[in-house]
Order: sequence, then C-alpha cells, then structure tokens
Amino acid sequence: MATQDDDTLTGSVPDPDTEPAPAELAHARRFAELVDKTLSGRTPPAMSADDRALLEAATVIRATHGSVELAPSKQRQVVEDALRQAIGAPAPSRGAAVPIARARARRWVPWIVAGTSTLVAAAAVAMLWLRGPAGTGHAGPVARRAEVPPEWTSRPADSLVGPIARDHAGDASARIDAIFADRLDGFRARRLARGGKP
Amino acid sequence: MKRLTRGFGVVIGLVFVGVVDLGACSSERDPTPPPATRVADPSDVIDQGLMVALAQAKNFHHKAKVYMTDGNLTAATAAVRQILSLAFPRGAPEADDVRNDARALLAKLLMSQGQLDEATRTIDEGLAASQRESFFVANLYTVQGELHEARAVAFDAAGESGKAPAGDERRQAISSYDRSIQINERLQKKLLEER
Repeated sequence: MATQDDDTLTGSVPDPDTEPAPAELAHARRFAELVDKTLSGRTPPAMSADDRALLEAATVIRATHGSVELAPSKQRQVVEDALRQAIGAPAPSRGAAVPIARARARRWVPWIVAGTSTLVAAAAVAMLWLRGPAGTGHAGPVARRAEVPPEWTSRPADSLVGPIARDHAGDASARIDAIFADRLDGFRARRLARGGKP
Repeated sequence: MKRLTRGFGVVIGLVFVGVVDLGACSSERDPTPPPATRVADPSDVIDQGLMVALAQAKNFHHKAKVYMTDGNLTAATAAVRQILSLAFPRGAPEADDVRNDARALLAKLLMSQGQLDEATRTIDEGLAASQRESFFVANLYTVQGELHEARAVAFDAAGESGKAPAGDERRQAISSYDRSIQINERLQKKLLEER
C-alpha cells in the first residue's frame, strides 16, 4: 500500500511559498532523525527506497561541504593508487591498500625466509662439525674402553719392565723380548676373539 | 630497498655470530687442557704394524748381541742404530720405550768405543724426544750419569788441570742419577696406585 511518504520524490513539487502541510513537517522531522542516526553510525537496517536515495544525497552534500574526512586507510589507499598509476604499476585489488614499499618488501620475504633457513641449517651443520671431534673424543673411547681389554691395547711398557737397574742398563735385548712376547699375547687374544680377523 | 638489504645483512651477520658462538661454546664445553704427556689412547689396539715393528727391533737387538759377543762393536752399533729408524704405528707408546732403550744401549756401545760426545748426543736426543716419563727415560738418565763419570775419569787422567772439570762432571753425574731415581720413584708409586 503506497503512502504519502512513498511518493515524496515522484509526487508533484509543492509551491515553495505555501505553508508546509503537517504531513510534510512530520516527514521532514523523521528524515532529520534518520540523517542524524546515519551520521552517528546507527543507520537503520531497513528504509524505503526514497529515504535511501535522499539519505545518499544528504551524505554527498555533507561530504562536498568538507564536513566529512576520509578514514586514514582510505586516504592511504587513494594516495597509493595515485602513485601506482604514476609509475605504471597494475592496480591493486580493492580488498586492502598495500603501500608500495611494503609491496616490494613482500617480494623479498620468501628470499629472506629461504636464506635465513639455509643459514640456520648451515649453522647447525657447522655446530655438529665443530662438536663432532669432541663428541667422539669423549663418548667413543669411553665406550670402547669398556669393550677393549687392556692387554689388547698398545700401551707403555713400564708395568711390564719395571725399574731398570744400572747393572742392566744395556740389557735392552732381554727387555724387547719381554715386550714382544707380551704384546704378541694380546695381539693373538684379540685376533682369536675376532674369529681370526686382524 | 636499502633498508631491506641492510636488514638482510643484519640477519646474515647474526646467524654467523651464532655459528661462531656455537663453536666457542662447543670448545668451552671441552675445557680439558691438552695432556703434557701422551699416554696410550685406549682405542689403539695392538695391530700387525706394531707387532712387525717390535719383531724388527727384537731381531736387531739379537743381531747386535751376536756382534757384541763376537767383539764387533762397530757392527753392533750399526745394528742398534737401525732400531731408531723403525716405523712404528703413529702414537704407539711402545715406540718411545723401544727407541729409548735402543738409545741407552747405543750410548753404552759408543762409550765403550771412546766416543763420549756421540754417546752424549744420543742420550740428549732421546731425552728431548721423550713424550712422557718412563723407566726407559730414567735409564737414559742413568746412562747419562755413567757418561759424566766416564768424562770425569778422562779429566782425572789429564792431571792437575783436569781436577776442576772432573769435579763438575761428577756433580753432573750425581744430578743425572738423582733424576733417574726420582723418575723411578714416581713411576713406581703411580704403578702401585693403579693396582
């Protein structure tokens, strides 16, 4: 059902000198409230098509009078679009405004990530390499010390020979015999334990 | 762009500083100072190379003994010298022991032939090359003492003028014997503690 409000824009234009009818005054008050709500961010979810058209017209008029400022993000987007056009870059998507410097930086991000990952990997390898000898120098021989009987090892002959008396200072032949025999025992024992393998 | 390049450089720098730190940490974790004397690495088992070298040394000693029995001291000396050039496995403690024992015998052979300077040089080289204290090193000091005694006797034979240097040689002989005794005592104590 059409009301008088609905044909505000399509009805006849009243004479400017005639007194406003009560219905016109009521409509004007209601529209003023609607504009106030819209400016304060409380736009009603539903309104008539005429009201929406009038509201848009009122918003444009207000903006052209300089009463409305663009949001900072919107301002940046406008400037960036202008600069982008100036350097001949393709227009960005309308989703979000990305500064040119940041957009260029984003192109480097994969390279930075890849480079950093490579360096971290190189650092890890270097660490393992640096710590390798220390690790084998500690854990390896300790483990092997438990496995290898002392008599199988190459070692000083002090415990075998004992103190050398002055009278026997030149008896090297007898001492080398003792050392050879002892080491041969160890060599054979180790070889037998390994099934004859050297 | 410059800022980006600078940032990338900073990242690389930080990573390399990290690597250096890691290296430093890894070396800090191993504060054990290098040993003053080399002892046997327990992982060095008796291998064929060691047995061959020992067998060679044994044969040269027996050869020298035969020559000595025969009175051929020159040939005996040459046989003992060959022991010094034998190739032992790298780091084998037996190599030091066998060579020091050969040097002691060589010095005695040279001394018996009147070659005191050559004998002294043989002993000095052995002492300088020794990596650790051993009964064989103590034996070198013993022979060094005998050499000093032999020199003292030689100075005595020179008459009055040789008295002072003979006294010096005897004092040096005592010093050498003392060192030999000290090493023997330390090693015996150590061996007793290990038992």
